[in-house]
Amino acid sequence: MAASIRPLLRRAIRSSHRNVGVAAAGVAGRSGCCRAPSTCRCFGDVAGDRSTHFGFETVPESEKAKKVYKVFENVAQKYDTMNDAMSLGIHRLWKDMLLHAMRPQPGVHLLDVAGGTGDIAFRFLEYVRAQRERQKRRAPSWRDISEDEDEVAPRESRAVVCDINKEMLRVGKRKADSAGISAGLSWVAGDAEELPFGDDLFDVYTIAFGIRNVTRIDQALQEALRVLKPGGRFMCLEFSKVTNPVLSRLYDEYSFKMIPVLGEVIAGDWKSYQYLVESIRKFPDQEEFKHMIEDAGFYCVKYHNFTGGVVALHSGFKL
Amino acid sequence: MFRNVVVRLVTETGRVKNAPLIQRLTATSVSVRSFSGVKDAEQQQPFDGSLLEFLVCPLSKKPLRYEAETNELINEELGIAFPIIDGIPNMIPQEARLLQKDTDASTSPTQG
Repeated sequence: MAASIRPLLRRAIRSSHRNVGVAAAGVAGRSGCCRAPSTCRCFGDVAGDRSTHFGFETVPESEKAKKVYKVFENVAQKYDTMNDAMSLGIHRLWKDMLLHAMRPQPGVHLLDVAGGTGDIAFRFLEYVRAQRERQKRRAPSWRDISEDEDEVAPRESRAVVCDINKEMLRVGKRKADSAGISAGLSWVAGDAEELPFGDDLFDVYTIAFGIRNVTRIDQALQEALRVLKPGGRFMCLEFSKVTNPVLSRLYDEYSFKMIPVLGEVIAGDWKSYQYLVESIRKFPDQEEFKHMIEDAGFYCVKYHNFTGGVVALHSGFKL
Repeated sequence: MFRNVVVRLVTETGRVKNAPLIQRLTATSVSVRSFSGVKDAEQQQPFDGSLLEFLVCPLSKKPLRYEAETNELINEELGIAFPIIDGIPNMIPQEARLLQKDTDASTSPTQG
């Protein structure tokens, strides 16, 4: 199938333009043709590249991934600072709410996709660590008293952070190292549309503020379904549509007037943050995204709005 | 009093020097397999072998083999290798390296 042709095609492309920065995978490989690449890799349909949106621009699908990669490569160092500045620190509350809704038990395996600088993974590890402490402090359970010494040790919690952008991962890893968090935390560079993980492995899959940057959202959702265990939970935190018209107006004003300016002042990058606010507008609203998740095969899909709909938490189960 | 200051200075710097060492030790204690990282000139961080339980090739979804010499994850079937940089495996399909057809091991064809 295409799998055997793809590496050869890639080799041909790579040898023809060594100097192009590594481009992330956007479109899954098809057995289509490959045009002589001048600026982009192409795995488009035989009929030609489909186009998609990059903020308010329309770009070929194969371009989008590369452009998104560049955006996050540029902002990686200042990502956390910018998040605090743009959301006035509220993004921390949103992420805390995600953990709260998740309520992970010790021993849970988490996959945090587009996890970049690791915010969700850190919170997860902290949460399960606190849970474990609480469990230990309680009166000993039958398990503790049991005489069987050969019992398997309690399952360790694990968080795997997967992101397509190596720069973001590097920043995250550095944060983890300086905070001394290493047990149960792993970092992997990978594509949400083609996850490098086996089937039925994870208890929880989270993607916080990342799914709107994925070129083929349906593919990312299918991969999420694949890697989750039966009974596993999909949780997605993402910017969404504000329901209240007054708030919506204020939000728009703030987004388009303030955020790119903040981006320029703090990160020295107007365009990336322009992309950010535009990409939020192009992302489907709560109901539509809920249908997309259901189409991918998840059950009991629900969403919950935060901050009047600025952010929505969608959740579904693999049954 | 002066001597106290000097003593404090020495002990503080001693403590500071030890802290990164302790962090490095906790990092290495996580990895399960033996690795060649430390002796490399590039100062590569160790690869956590327990990740191999989860990782598969993103293209074929088949298990991978860890090659300690080149610090790569190899998919024999497709003949590709994924590099591990700073302890982070790079599993992006486009960045896999093709292995030479004739050699079984991963002596490198230099590629971009």
